[in-house]
Amino acid sequence: MRAGAGIVVAARLAIVIVLVAGWEFAARWYSPLLAAPPSLVLPALVGVLSLDTYPELPRHLLVTVREIVIAFAMAVAGGLATGFVLGLYRTLGRAYGPILAALYAVPAVVWYPSLMLFFGLDSSSKIAFGFLLGFFPITLAVLAGIRQVNPHLVMVARAFGARPLTTFVKVMIPAMLFTLVGGLRTGLALTVIGVIVGEILGSKAGIGSLINHAYGLLRTADYVALVLVTLVLIVATDALASLVEHRAQRWTDS
Amino acid sequence: MILVRLLQVASVMLLLALWEMVAGLGWVDRAFVPAPSAVARSLGDTGGRALAGLADTLTKTAIAYAIAIVVGVGLGVTVGSIRLLRDVLNPFVIAAYGIPKILILPWIVLLTGFGTTPAIVYGALHGIFPIMVLVMGGVRDVDRTLITVARAYGASPWQLYWKVILPAIVPSMLAGMRLGIVFCLLGVLVVEMFAGLRGMGYVLSSLANAFRAPELFAATALVSTASIAIVLGLDWLNDRLSHWRA
Repeated sequence: MRAGAGIVVAARLAIVIVLVAGWEFAARWYSPLLAAPPSLVLPALVGVLSLDTYPELPRHLLVTVREIVIAFAMAVAGGLATGFVLGLYRTLGRAYGPILAALYAVPAVVWYPSLMLFFGLDSSSKIAFGFLLGFFPITLAVLAGIRQVNPHLVMVARAFGARPLTTFVKVMIPAMLFTLVGGLRTGLALTVIGVIVGEILGSKAGIGSLINHAYGLLRTADYVALVLVTLVLIVATDALASLVEHRAQRWTDS
Repeated sequence: MILVRLLQVASVMLLLALWEMVAGLGWVDRAFVPAPSAVARSLGDTGGRALAGLADTLTKTAIAYAIAIVVGVGLGVTVGSIRLLRDVLNPFVIAAYGIPKILILPWIVLLTGFGTTPAIVYGALHGIFPIMVLVMGGVRDVDRTLITVARAYGASPWQLYWKVILPAIVPSMLAGMRLGIVFCLLGVLVVEMFAGLRGMGYVLSSLANAFRAPELFAATALVSTASIAIVLGLDWLNDRLSHWRA
């Protein structure tokens, strides 16, 4: 078993080395300007991280994080409320659930030009798009969660005179916590993607606007360096969400 | 059931009426939120251009989708059925699946230029990983007994794949294809918005840039209807195929 694990790790390492070396080689052969070999990305990354290339980088990162936080807060509030109403009132759920599912089948990016027209190039259009992307998985997770709650628990709560909102907060949310947190994690990931897609498709501030700027000026090495910075942001966000998910799982199990 | 249908129709009508009224009374700027009637009228003007764009987009999506299915299923079966390969590649697959593809879009455009090629490459890239991940899961979960029995009766590797594994993973393949189509369409539309010369994404973003809200809303409604129809069609096909399997 230990030897097997060793082989796996060695093979993974070999793949990474081959990928980086292959990238370096292919980029030099094809076009160092367009393909940005790692030997050019490394100094560019140092330049970006030392705030030499983009002195405004922290401000842009802050803009992006702010958009993500606002969009996600709105998606959580909207998703919980919609899921609660549609899950508890059966007729409403049967009427609007299919409409929601149909809208979910539309590639969300088709709404983005309308949002940009309506909200303009500033943060609002990115927040709206991030909200839209995060809203659906959260709503669907609440609906799925409500279906898996033991109906006896709800019946007992109702019998003791709990109102629907109380039943939802005190009985249903704890009982479906794991599903709910999974939905929140997906929603957060999609909100992050929505904000970044919005910024790259057209913006004045935020990490996406910097990426677009570097790309537009053919500063490919800077572009790759900015992408790496963005990836760190994304991975950190997801790690945080995963931590919360594990806590929720422990809490549900105990 | 009648009540549900009635509620659906009534609320859509009510929403449209309310929207028409709000726009008609001038509570919102009609340049940004046009009334439904204005949107319907503009469908006549922009319909031809939008339909041509839609046809272009759907052609690229079909090509990207075909590539995504072939590569996704091929890689999924290969990686999923060879234990060592699966163990080694798993983190790479998860990373490739999870990374927002938009980050490498500028790079794809730099390397392949504007227009059709990046749309197909990026659309396929979007579709490959969900299909691959689901197929890998399907292969991993194939009943071991089936494989052992087939081997015991002297099945060749080819027969093992073709007669045992492939039929067993049809459900996960179909699930992957259902998921993949929306991703492919999404990818193609994003490229058309970012670096397109034709296609629905290009039509949408140029209408937005020209502040032609009624035409933009009409075109958005058109492409939404088309994608809902495609997904419902695939669901129906899926249903039919699962009847046939059972």
